Amino acid sequence: MKEVMDATFVEEVMNSEQPVLVDFWAPWCGPCKMVTPVMEELDQQYDGKIKVVKVNVDENPEISEALRITSIPTIVLFKEGQPKDAVVGFRPKNDFEKMIDKHL
Amino acid sequence: MSDRYDLIVIGSGPAGISAAINGVIRNKKVKVFGSRNLSEKVQKAPRVDNYLGFHGITGNELKDVFSQHLEKMQVEITEEKVDAVYALGKYFAITTKDNSYEATSVIVASGVSNKKSLEGENEYLGKGVGYCATCDAPIYKNKKVAIVGYDVHAEEEANFMLDVASEVVYIPLYGQPEKIKDGVNVVLGRPLRIEGNEKAERLVLHNDHIDADGIFILKDSVELDQLVPGVQIEDNHFVVNRKMETNIEGLYAAGDCTGKPYQYLKAAGEGQVAALNAVSFIDNMQ
Repeated sequence: MKEVMDATFVEEVMNSEQPVLVDFWAPWCGPCKMVTPVMEELDQQYDGKIKVVKVNVDENPEISEALRITSIPTIVLFKEGQPKDAVVGFRPKNDFEKMIDKHL
Repeated sequence: MSDRYDLIVIGSGPAGISAAINGVIRNKKVKVFGSRNLSEKVQKAPRVDNYLGFHGITGNELKDVFSQHLEKMQVEITEEKVDAVYALGKYFAITTKDNSYEATSVIVASGVSNKKSLEGENEYLGKGVGYCATCDAPIYKNKKVAIVGYDVHAEEEANFMLDVASEVVYIPLYGQPEKIKDGVNVVLGRPLRIEGNEKAERLVLHNDHIDADGIFILKDSVELDQLVPGVQIEDNHFVVNRKMETNIEGLYAAGDCTGKPYQYLKAAGEGQVAALNAVSFIDNMQ
């Protein structure tokens, strides 16, 4: 799963031709660790249809602030440069599948 | 990888122990989280007349009968508070403050908590309101944070937040704090509601208000949908079918946490139904 930074967010997420699922996380957040394997599975499962990336909020405060991320993990689905859907906190995989399928 | 249990039961009231006993009878590797005293509600009941086979028994006597039953079946209770149950697809991860466990199936028998949410708490959840201060600390670098602590364990999170935030206001709801760091601003008061616009901006107390960028509510008992992220809840209870299945495959619920009536026999019966269906689920997974 690709790490995206403040500096690469526009290019990797906003200008992406595919929808992008962005996982906002930080190293010491327990629920974030649980979300990671779910994101990795989604990344493989939707290969070629969506992009799955992660943003470390600790190292990338600008984008986190701009998107008003106030809790982690927060998972945001971007399509055509716009945030279309977001989930705060851990969710089972099929909740994310439903969210992605709605926007494919 | 840690040893995976077949079945983890969360709660040691009548529903939980009935589930555990039935799981053990079916030869499953079972772990029960709860209290050695089993259930405060049972222990404190002055007299019970509606538990089949026991007329006029006190709650405390009934608790002793349950304990002896567990002992005979060699079911032990792990005294750790479960923070969250994560459905990871093929198994569940169960986390406590210090440990993490894995199980193929989970039965939640956590009872009901009568602590209501604050007004505005759900509305602003994820918009300035959170339940895990240590998780969200990096977001509040050089900002002002208010933390409502329902028990002493919240103090640790307030102390941690002080390393990051510019100002930490701590509102203890259990009396005087014990181990709070100098620098944390302790305010005694009763929180009424959370106000704001697009984001939470203010915690209103009965005699005061605190403007803050982030507000954390740290409870002693976790709300059901915090305990199991993604589970379906209705009116503060798990939504279950006749098999005691929740919307998450492999996750069952039993007892008061599934709804009224809040009765011992109903709880024990539900625990049994949940366990037997969990056993079928586990057998199918292998």
